[in-house]
Order: sequence, then structure tokens, then C-alpha cells
Amino acid sequence: MAGLNDDAQWIVLMGFLVSFSFFFLALVINQSTVVGQTTAESVIEFPKNDIRDTREIMIRSWDLGNYNTVNYNTVKEDIKIISKSRKNAVVKFDDRIWGNDMHFHYPLYYNNGVTEYYENWTSL
Amino acid sequence: MKNSDGQLYTIEGLAAALVMLLTAYFVINATSVYTAGDTHITDMQLEALGTDALRVMDANESRLTGSPLRNIISNVTFTDNQTFGTMFGNLINSRTGAAADHIQYSASYSYRDLGDNSMKSMFINASRNLSGGEHAVRATKWVIANVKGDGLPGDSSYIPGFSPPQNRSVLVEVLLWRD
Repeated sequence: MAGLNDDAQWIVLMGFLVSFSFFFLALVINQSTVVGQTTAESVIEFPKNDIRDTREIMIRSWDLGNYNTVNYNTVKEDIKIISKSRKNAVVKFDDRIWGNDMHFHYPLYYNNGVTEYYENWTSL
Repeated sequence: MKNSDGQLYTIEGLAAALVMLLTAYFVINATSVYTAGDTHITDMQLEALGTDALRVMDANESRLTGSPLRNIISNVTFTDNQTFGTMFGNLINSRTGAAADHIQYSASYSYRDLGDNSMKSMFINASRNLSGGEHAVRATKWVIANVKGDGLPGDSSYIPGFSPPQNRSVLVEVLLWRD
């Protein structure tokens, strides 16, 4: 615009201003891709089903301990070792404890290196 | 102060702004056509579907019989493998319409060898052979089964290492993928 008069310089300035503001807005929107990925990954990495399933099998196995100790110990060892080698998780569950509150307590523990879960399950 | 001399500049400014905006719009659209996070969402849904199907199969049918999944593990014969295939295939592929879905699976279970504590895997059933190119997710279910037999072919169970009937815990693992 060198050869023209310079009456409308502020309009050009406004044009630049709007363009740049949209440019920075686009940068912000661009980050949403990353945000979406990390969110979905953290959801899929949280072992909700693993914990529920392991918890269920541990509680079920305690019924075996009431009438068949040999089978109970075998099943307990099965759960610990299969969990380590196939699920990359350390599980630990102790024998029941007769608590001062006149209930049986079953401590169970799950850790896969990222998520840790501990529960003190109480019988009726 | 005000006159109408700069109208051309106004139009030029607007046009320049529009050109730049359009450029930015096209550039951003071109780079983010496919969001990587979306694949994880479909994976998550497939995994949830498989886990639910296995949970359904591990529910007791009546007070007197065990769950279908437990019976299949306790007595893995050729017919049991087919029972698993039919039931699991129906559960994951049923839709509201008449046409079935196209989810494929390959199922096996892992058990502990009593001799040296090593892991052994036993194949159950598959709708397709695994070729290695699938984008599969894994769904698992713990099962306590009452198994008997010494592991010889033709026995009532393939988990070896003991002769009296015994409760064992196995991990049923299913690979699921769309094809």
C-alpha cells in the first residue's frame, strides 16, 4: 500500500488483530487431540473390571476354605500365580480373621503397579 | 475526521482476514482428521462387551447347576468347545436388528501346572484363526472349576497333575476384534 494514501491503516490493523486472535484460538483447539487421547488411555488403563473380577474370585474362594482346605490352598495359589503372569498384577489375600466385632474379616489386596486396591471385606 | 476515502482498505482488510482464517481452518482440519483417542474408545467398548458376555456366561442357570462357563472348563470336550463358541458368539454379535455383528474372537484359558508352577494355556474355541494382523483387545474372567482327570487325551479335563477331583482356578482369556 505504499503508493496509496494511508487513511485506513487501522482497518488493516484490525484485520491482523482478528487473524492473530483466531490463530491462537486454533492453537488451543489443536490441543484437544492430545487431551482426548490421554483421557481415553487413562480410562482404558484403569483396571476396573480386573479388580471387580479378582475381588469376586477371592471372595468365592473363601467358601472353599470352609470345608476343603486342600482345594482352598490350591485355588489360592492358582489365583496368585496366574494373576502375576497373565494379568501383571500382584494379589494377596489372607485367611480370615475373627475380629473383635464378632465378624470374619477377609483382607484382600490388588496392585498392578499403577493402581492399588485394598479392601477389608467383612462377613455377616 | 470521517470520510469515505478508505472503503477499499476496509474491503482489503476484511479479505485479508478471511484469507488468513480460511488458511488456518484448512491447515488445522488437515492435521486432525483422525483423533488417536478415538481408537481407545472403541477398544474400551469392545473390551466391556467381552467382559460382560463372560460375566453372563458365568451366571448360574439354576440353583442346582453351575454356570455354563464353569461347566465348559470343568469338562472340556469337543462339544463343550462348540457350546462356548455358540453361546459366546451369540452374546457378542447380537444386535437389535436382524443382521448380526462381525466381532470375531479367540478363546483360551490359562492354568497353573502343579508340578513346577509354570503357566499352561489351553485353547477353547475361535471364530477365526489368529493371523497376527488383528487389532484385538483382551477380556478375561476368573473361574473356579471342579476338575478331575490326569490330563491324558480323552479325559474329562485337560488340566493335568492330580487324580482326585479338585477345585482349580483358571483364567479364561478371550481376544476380540472386528473383522
